[in-house]
Amino acid sequence: MSLKSFSDDQLDALQETANIAMGQAGAVLARLLDHYVALSVPRAKPVQAADLAATVSAMLGPSLDLAVTAVRQSFQGRLRGEAISLFGTEGCSELADLLGHESGAGAEQQEELLLDVSNILVGAVLRGLGNQLHTDFAFSAPTLLGQEQGVAAILRRGPVDWVDALLLEVNFRLDPRNFSCHLVLLLPEESIDVLRQALDRMLGDI
Amino acid sequence: MTRENEQRALLEAVFERINVGVLLLDDANRIVRWNRFMATHSGLEADAVLGRDLFDCFPELPASWLKRKLESVRLLRNYAFTSWEQRPYLFRFQHDRPVTGGVDWMRQDCTLIPISDSTGQVSHVCITVVDVTDASLYQSALQEANTRLEEASVRDGLTGIYNRGHLETRLAEEFARVRRHGGALSVVMFDFDNFKRVNDTHGHQCGDEVLRQVIRRTSSLLRAEDLCGRYGGEEFTLLLPDTPVEQAVRVAERVRAAVEATPIRTRNRELGMTITLGIAGYEENLGSHEQLLDNADKALYRGKREGRNRIALFDHRLDGQG
Repeated sequence: MSLKSFSDDQLDALQETANIAMGQAGAVLARLLDHYVALSVPRAKPVQAADLAATVSAMLGPSLDLAVTAVRQSFQGRLRGEAISLFGTEGCSELADLLGHESGAGAEQQEELLLDVSNILVGAVLRGLGNQLHTDFAFSAPTLLGQEQGVAAILRRGPVDWVDALLLEVNFRLDPRNFSCHLVLLLPEESIDVLRQALDRMLGDI
Repeated sequence: MTRENEQRALLEAVFERINVGVLLLDDANRIVRWNRFMATHSGLEADAVLGRDLFDCFPELPASWLKRKLESVRLLRNYAFTSWEQRPYLFRFQHDRPVTGGVDWMRQDCTLIPISDSTGQVSHVCITVVDVTDASLYQSALQEANTRLEEASVRDGLTGIYNRGHLETRLAEEFARVRRHGGALSVVMFDFDNFKRVNDTHGHQCGDEVLRQVIRRTSSLLRAEDLCGRYGGEEFTLLLPDTPVEQAVRVAERVRAAVEATPIRTRNRELGMTITLGIAGYEENLGSHEQLLDNADKALYRGKREGRNRIALFDHRLDGQG
């Protein structure tokens, strides 16, 4: 699979759709944490299962690559796939602080917090996508994929019953706090066709 | 019955009998639906809870946390979840394993689902409660087994102290830490004097017992952060973090004296034992942790040559000697 199978119009529509959805998620996060949230421009790229860890590593950059905590969650509907949120170690403690949790919070509470924030972000992004593409999602519970490990170690364990996927990525950063979260959405091959049809319908509506 | 009513009755039956707790809350957190699972496990029938505030019915719920969570579901129109791994249960229900369970209350995975009315507004929140007690017990057992395995893989079977592999790993870590952040680190290697004679005269079982007792005595003299490991045969290593050699000398002397002072009592005899100890400290010019270990080993052999039952400090003049 390559993005060449998308027409330029489809790619534009995808980028715009992602911009809006990620922007809405950023706004939700800003409201939740009561801070300004800066967003990177969302990126879409095709990945193969074998290259996933390397691709995500490259996106994170060397500072985050070594120790991240990752939460995964799957979503179902006409489009299905998995979302992975990656938090830096400092980000995890910053988050507890931002949400007014005492620093003495137990490991379970910190984990629950990460799962909650990740769930809210994923929900917001997908609701944004769903609204534009006229589709609805159901969600399974988020789970911790790994804590304070290298990206490669975390993602190697992932399921590998797929070959090609479309990856959508965005970075949320809180200024001036030391918190950032990378959100990665992975759509498996059969969802890519559905996505293309949905983009066409959207383009037809305009 | 019209077809529509028939469908509704079927749905109602499923809702009632499904083996998952389902309840529906209105916009003021009043309970408006309550299925059989919830009634059975809470002991509260539907007519006792319908129309009532959830938190009045269940004062043990974590109210402020759950209210915030319900609010976020309504506000963000988003699913929310709780997992037993972080929060063992929401509702304090008895589980179905009163005998073999070993946990206090039913472990639960819960989902909070926003329900929109015909105008698209989120009017209700549905909570589902899944009993995951069984799965949680399996997972806990698995985790315990993994922890035991991990523990076993770093321990010496005979003495219960750390094995050589783990000792070297920890030494490498400590060495790297001191190299980066500065500080002190000492290594003591010790060996039993004339141990072969014990094995030859009294048998290997007796020899094993001597090793166990001496190690127990040695361990009791160490600080919590010190590490005692079996390097091989009857050769042992003490890893003393944050310890300059002068202090390591005192520790080594204490250990030596304690072994010498009291004979080892086995089932039918008393054996006087002595050990020889070699000491080396971290130095900046050391290339690796192996070199530090090697220095302690050289000191140990000097001690042996000089007559045993003593401590010996590594000396650069020893370098180059075997």
